[in-house]
Amino acid sequence: MTKEYPQHHIDCRTGDVAPTVFLPGDPGRVPVWAELMDEAWKVAEKREYVTYTGRKNGVLMSCTSTGIGCPSASIAAEELYRIGAKNLIRIGTCGSIQEYTKPGEMIVATGAVRGEHTSEEYISMEYPAVADYRIVRALIDAAEGLEVPYHRGIIRSHDAFYMESPEAFGDYRARIQKWTDANVLALENESSAIFVIASMSKIRAGTILAAGNAIWKPDADAFDWERHVKMMLRVAIRAGVLLDERGLA
Amino acid sequence: MKQYHIQLESGDVGKTVFVPGDPGRAPIIAEHFDDARFVMRNREYVTYTGESQGVEVSVTSTGVGCPSLAIAIEELIKVGAENFIRVGTGGLLQEWVSPGSIIIASAAVRGEGTSREYIPLEYPAVASLEVVEALVEGAEKRGIKPYVGIIRSHDAFYIESTLARVDYLAKDKPWIESNVLAVENESGTLFTLASLRGKKAGTILAVSGSHQHPELSVSDERMRELVSEATEIALYAARKLGS
Repeated sequence: MTKEYPQHHIDCRTGDVAPTVFLPGDPGRVPVWAELMDEAWKVAEKREYVTYTGRKNGVLMSCTSTGIGCPSASIAAEELYRIGAKNLIRIGTCGSIQEYTKPGEMIVATGAVRGEHTSEEYISMEYPAVADYRIVRALIDAAEGLEVPYHRGIIRSHDAFYMESPEAFGDYRARIQKWTDANVLALENESSAIFVIASMSKIRAGTILAAGNAIWKPDADAFDWERHVKMMLRVAIRAGVLLDERGLA
Repeated sequence: MKQYHIQLESGDVGKTVFVPGDPGRAPIIAEHFDDARFVMRNREYVTYTGESQGVEVSVTSTGVGCPSLAIAIEELIKVGAENFIRVGTGGLLQEWVSPGSIIIASAAVRGEGTSREYIPLEYPAVASLEVVEALVEGAEKRGIKPYVGIIRSHDAFYIESTLARVDYLAKDKPWIESNVLAVENESGTLFTLASLRGKKAGTILAVSGSHQHPELSVSDERMRELVSEATEIALYAARKLGS
């Protein structure tokens, strides 16, 4: 039998991760995820890629951080696919760009604007970055079951944080307005490449984000990192259990 | 006010409108309605309205391609339509889907020009969750296992079809490798426009002509049966979406 080498960046092999893998950007969020599981153990740590696997209600799930942006997220998605992941669920935070979204509410993505360049190296821009509808359904059902308010719709992924954020130079509001008008809910940096790679690999992907403060009210302080991020993680983990119950893990 | 192209006004259509390409298919779809009435014909836009188990439903043909479809959708929204289900046919790209299957689109490749005038290409043409789920449920209730996935919409039929003037398989290659199920001409703009206007949309296709194996295409008679199945599935979805 030939020896399987660990994947180049995430340092994991087949069997190290469960069919459902959660993908936060921040490596520091993986142990927070682990604390909310019934049990969890560290599997690997290399560069910005920290992986834990654990159990909740008897269902095995994993969590691998991707670092910020699609270049590093695409590596995580590819390598997780190569070792058998079936459901890639990005978990994170975002800048909200609709007036009706309140800080701390959940954003469940149905698709993502491909405002980044990584996915374009895979396939031309006309290909849609679409979340798998069964993952969207599991995330919504989990949010409803836990009575956590959520919004569902298209989000925007992009590369340059300091072009579209409250700390951006110049008139960032003008840059964002066309996406607000197009009913885009929020801005983040990873989902579109993860969605495209999942579709091209015939696996499923989805995204749940805790809405941060509205991007044009940077001084508003309603977002409670500790509380809202944990709420998002609980919804995500519940969705992982639902996917298993529905024969999708 | 009567809309310029479709020549309809508020009250003429139900909340859910089926949007096939072919004007000739509008009356065939309307035969599946209860108490269908002919409403209007202008250019390629033919409209019938009826009911399905008490839920009002309409069909408006769009003609081939996104330019004429965009006009139909914009004007139908102005007269009160909220849900759009494209019932159509498509060319099959994948070898693992057999000709004579039903495909439900989760999203569409925007290989057409119309939606680009609305919003940059990076915006995804994604079908609405409720419509996709209702179509899948409708298919399963009729004992049909649909294929759910990404389809490709494009403009030039004679560049990407089994009747193309060029090596269409070379054109198809990136899409085949990206798990695109089928090729057609309208859904890219349908989904984009529905998202922009806050409406719901979905597409169900009967597929016959296999690009990789044209010799395996099913008979015209079988295709008529399949379109009839697709219509019944779409009606289930329309009832589920409600009035």
